[in-house]
Amino acid sequence: MATLSTDVLVIGGGATGASVVWDAALRGLHVVLADRADLVEGTSGRFHGLLHSGGRYVVKDPRAAEECIVENRILREVAADCIEDTGGLFVTTPFDDPAYADRFAQGCRDTGVDCEEVAPAEALRDEPLLNPRISRAFRVPDANIDPWKMVWAMARGAHERSGARILPYHAAVDVHRRGEEVTGARLRDVRTGEELDVEARVTVNATGAWAGKVADMAGIEGVHVIPGRGIMLAMNHRLVDTVVNRCQMPTDGDIIVPIRTVCVIGTTDVHTDDPDDQTVAQEEVDALLDDGERLVPGFRRARALRVWTGVRPLFEDAKEDVRSTRDVTRAHTLLDHAERDGVGGFVTITGGKLTTCRLMAEETVDAVCRHLGESRPCTTTTERLPGSETGEYYHLGERLGRREDNLRNDELMCECELITRGKFEEALRRRGTDNLGDFRRTLRLGMGPCQGGFCIYRATGIMHGIDGMTAEQANEVLLSFLQERWKGVRPILYGDQLRQARLDDWIFQGVLDVGHLKQ
Amino acid sequence: MTEVLHELLRGSLDHCVKCTICETACPVSNVTPLFPGPKYAGPQAERYRVGDEPSVEWSVDYCSGCGICTQVCPQGVKIAEINAQARRKLKQQNGVPLRDRLIARPTVIGRLGTPTARLANASLRSRPLRIAVERVIGIHRDAALPGFARRSFRSWARRHSSPATGRRVVYFHNCGTQYYEPDVGKKTVAVLEHNGYQVEIPKQDCCGLPLQSNGLFDDARKYVLKAARVLAPYARDGALVVGNATSCTLMLKREAREILGLEDDPDLKLVSERTYDVCELLLELHDRGELKTDFHPVDEVVAYHAPCQQQGHGIGKPALELLALVPGLEVRELDAHCCGIAGTYGIKREKYDIAMAAGADLFDQIHASQAGLVACDSETCRWQIEHATQKTSVHPLELLHRAYRLPEPTG
Amino acid sequence: MRPSLHYDVVVLGAGVAGLTAAAKVAEGGARVCVLAKGVGSTHLAPGTLDVLGYTPERVEVPADALPAFVAGRPDHPYALLGVDAISPALDWFAGRIERGPHPGYRYVGNLKRNLLLPTAVGAARPSALVPETMAGGDLRAERPVCVVGLRPLRDFHASLCAANIARLGVEARAVELRLDMDRSEVNALGLARGFDDPVFRRDFVSRLAPQLDGDERVGMPAVLGLRDPHGAWADLEDRLGRPVFEIPTLPPSVPGIRVFDALHAALRAAGGRLVMGSRVAEGEREGTRVTALRSETAGRETYFGARAVVLATGGFASGALALGSDWVVRETVLDLPVRGVPAPGSPRFGAHYFGEQPMARVGVAVDATLRAEGAENVFVAGAALPGAEPWREGSGEGISLTSGHRAAELVLASDGLAAAA
Repeated sequence: MATLSTDVLVIGGGATGASVVWDAALRGLHVVLADRADLVEGTSGRFHGLLHSGGRYVVKDPRAAEECIVENRILREVAADCIEDTGGLFVTTPFDDPAYADRFAQGCRDTGVDCEEVAPAEALRDEPLLNPRISRAFRVPDANIDPWKMVWAMARGAHERSGARILPYHAAVDVHRRGEEVTGARLRDVRTGEELDVEARVTVNATGAWAGKVADMAGIEGVHVIPGRGIMLAMNHRLVDTVVNRCQMPTDGDIIVPIRTVCVIGTTDVHTDDPDDQTVAQEEVDALLDDGERLVPGFRRARALRVWTGVRPLFEDAKEDVRSTRDVTRAHTLLDHAERDGVGGFVTITGGKLTTCRLMAEETVDAVCRHLGESRPCTTTTERLPGSETGEYYHLGERLGRREDNLRNDELMCECELITRGKFEEALRRRGTDNLGDFRRTLRLGMGPCQGGFCIYRATGIMHGIDGMTAEQANEVLLSFLQERWKGVRPILYGDQLRQARLDDWIFQGVLDVGHLKQ
Repeated sequence: MTEVLHELLRGSLDHCVKCTICETACPVSNVTPLFPGPKYAGPQAERYRVGDEPSVEWSVDYCSGCGICTQVCPQGVKIAEINAQARRKLKQQNGVPLRDRLIARPTVIGRLGTPTARLANASLRSRPLRIAVERVIGIHRDAALPGFARRSFRSWARRHSSPATGRRVVYFHNCGTQYYEPDVGKKTVAVLEHNGYQVEIPKQDCCGLPLQSNGLFDDARKYVLKAARVLAPYARDGALVVGNATSCTLMLKREAREILGLEDDPDLKLVSERTYDVCELLLELHDRGELKTDFHPVDEVVAYHAPCQQQGHGIGKPALELLALVPGLEVRELDAHCCGIAGTYGIKREKYDIAMAAGADLFDQIHASQAGLVACDSETCRWQIEHATQKTSVHPLELLHRAYRLPEPTG
Repeated sequence: MRPSLHYDVVVLGAGVAGLTAAAKVAEGGARVCVLAKGVGSTHLAPGTLDVLGYTPERVEVPADALPAFVAGRPDHPYALLGVDAISPALDWFAGRIERGPHPGYRYVGNLKRNLLLPTAVGAARPSALVPETMAGGDLRAERPVCVVGLRPLRDFHASLCAANIARLGVEARAVELRLDMDRSEVNALGLARGFDDPVFRRDFVSRLAPQLDGDERVGMPAVLGLRDPHGAWADLEDRLGRPVFEIPTLPPSVPGIRVFDALHAALRAAGGRLVMGSRVAEGEREGTRVTALRSETAGRETYFGARAVVLATGGFASGALALGSDWVVRETVLDLPVRGVPAPGSPRFGAHYFGEQPMARVGVAVDATLRAEGAENVFVAGAALPGAEPWREGSGEGISLTSGHRAAELVLASDGLAAAA
């Protein structure tokens, strides 16, 4: 059995876990990050990409709003390359309580969320597809943020600064307890079955919606995280270039976020028992389409690209003695298990939203330092992530501009997302993986309108050609991609996307006949 | 208003299923890597374009605007129209060169050239002068430039009055007829009159298409609306608008409304509904049994090329069906999408070679057809064809005129 | 007086079904016009004529398998058409290819034996009638295969293709050639134009020949010439001294474009017309007859009057059938009733990608003579017909060709037209 020794073991490679790793590394600690799947495969990779201004919470949860606007400004400083400064709008549609708008404006003033009221005509000039009957409009500093870019920048940065070990595809199968002390965990590489023991002075449970399961492994009771499942729809192109919110109390389907080449509408809220629940109910899809129509008339005529589920972690403390919960804010929850349960070397951080991941990490690493008996200051408010050194925001046209510079040098293998063969081969070499899904997330391979119709054959062919793969492995890659993609399109297979799916069937079954590849 | 229409066209990108059919038909991307193709420049790149962000591309400038992609797209994506918007944005950002401003205004050139036709034509044939023009302005030294007519079409039209028959059409004769080929105009009028039409020829200016193709949208709007103001009163009075230049009639029919966002102008709307290509009109006449078919035999083998913007009308190739009525005339349908000139595209220094390569397939077919004559509805295509193949090229109307044995135009 | 033109027969759709129906009707003496929204199925399909490939077991002898196949599927287009209608359609097609614009080019095969051709990923696909340029790839023959990849053609991956062919028991290996082109990427059509040029071919052979071994046959992506595929193919076989065959790959399909060119030529030769880029928005009716098609031409509409109409507009892939976000299926051109739609509440699509997909069988409701329900002079052909899963069955082109051919016969025999012809 291989072993690894470290100061801090972080289980959970989403935005929170990665932020903890980055913060800890900056403070000079050695860190290991483990996730049972690829990084950002959980909740962080399944939301709409919104960098909150806080406007959403100014009435309902002013504390959360204050946190959001502060963190919004900090992230713009330190993670600019991951952020596209789209700006945001809150609009009062005919379906919203007109009285809310004034409460909203007051709430922004009270919480420090920058807010400027504009005439509806001006909002409509900027966003011509918005409901023409909006009666009020407010500008706020919403933006979008790319969680993959951010997390991988943090991972890279932590590795460069203090040799952090980043271990995707390593599931925690056991958390080690020695008496009243957690001393680390056993990890299993899900691809090979090999196991690895990690000895850590402190273990951080940053698994979000799965936090209860990991806490159970450590023998700690009562960490109940209720998964709140919601679906989101990506529409084929940006119907709006600004984040658009309904000006009302937060509810289902009240936001459209332009992110990369798509715009995402979300979300719904269905309680479930299982954080791995990925059901998509037809009624939820229909409801979101109706919600879309309210903000953007004609929404149902636009093309829906893909639907997916995300699970929000909603923490409920089942322990009587709440005094010990370090509940700095109702928005997220840090459980210092030394205080709460008398078990040292273990903290759980859960709840929250991606916008506040840096703050959550700061509190977590402060707790870690307490466990270590050391005092090390946090520097994540000012330290820029790798890639964000210039402080320049991301612009959507960047990929197109890069392609234009390279037109004669390299072939495009994924045309929708402008991925060149060179870039794909480089990513293959770097990641050394045979899971096309990993490239879906980082390169956005197969995430465009054709949903892999053209690029997946190319990708598989390239992988087989340079990777020393067998044909069986390549076939498996291809077939599992097709099945995985089918899951995301099946519930929204109408209109243009159905046409696309039929063309893709033509290619895969008619021309390539992949269904009859020798098993 | 313009932006809304822009959004409507942008919305059509949702129909793109990346099938590559547009790429198979694009005459430019098939011959040069400088243009990655209509699928790339249109629905694909459009997803990366944000309204108020600067343009990051240069390759869309190589799109010639022929519109074949939109024609063949089985899903209804307005590819060429999306490209036109992107091109315009690029040009606004980078500035429109003097050359483009100049060649986009054929009436300005025409007004300068016609009074001094002999001198102007001689200059255009002077090699040293052409080389200088290429260096200074950027028009390729070998580009097919037409010769100015000594007297404009208008000077004849002013003195011409059509017999009153009660069946009125208003003739939109286009700049080509006005300054370079007035005889084509005279023959068009004669053929229409032979078929019982009273032809009104008001004073008129450019339809604005070259300005639009060169990204000068505001100027293009001025011109096309001016044309609409001239033609609309006739249309309101029950007359049809007839043109012999298929690019210009397409501009009036739909391009101005779609690309320039003039959907709501009532004059233009009326004009667009009443505009006919002359062959289109004559064929419908024939369908009703009303076309004069007193054709004398014409013993010629003629190859017919439908210009890309004729195909853009979506009416098939009425010229073919008309020419089939002429006894003795053997018509060979050419099977190419584009001659390459695409209006003003092919005369530009940096695009001339691309244009000639794009048209190569057509030129080969013309030679292989062994036709003595090439019929084509667009004057810029005719000039390109003559330049590349040395074969005489005529408007299909001219063959009908000949078959009717109508008197040769004078003055 | 509204803008209008009149024909005996208007065919909607310029895929295999539409062009076949139109050409055959024109050959029968009627005045035909094809209205097409755009180019379609030909340019995407592999160019082979698949009559019946899977039932779901692989079919070796279509002539034997067909009767049992239709016996169990009375709703299938083959049941409607009668299996005897298939051969005459294949013969007609083969004849038009031979008389077509590609000198010497022809299709081989028949219903007595499916060929087993490799696909671009190396699966073995059964086809009844294939271009001569592909027949050499039949995987029933044991001759070793050398699959040639051509960079910068990005749509064909030789190593994966060869590796999968080898798993079928035929010796196979891959060779990658990099061609000198002035561009970083090229599609099949661009390369096919190259192969039309003898100088290009000679250059290609000089680079490939030294890499070939023993008696292997050469498998290439389907780029063997657009204008003269027979000439290009024969030239390569001659120079290499061994069989050469094409393997269809991602669109654009060069063999498919050849099919379009040949059928279009057949239509033209018979005096028919094709109007490209014309979308029909509606059919005007008098009682149960459709009397004119309202087409959206530039600026305004044009009405195409017709005595008979052939609806060959395709299925969901072409947008002829559409499923709205309200989950209602519509036939989008003539608004005809459709059949085979799963009942509300039952799944439209199966959870497994390769499993049954109920919506695939939806089509325009027709009677035994291909007439659409409620429109006695509208004949339906091709993917618009219900009851088939063309790609899973390997029957797409067979259905399109046979139904287009049969629709033409029925149209010509229908009242009004027999007299005119």
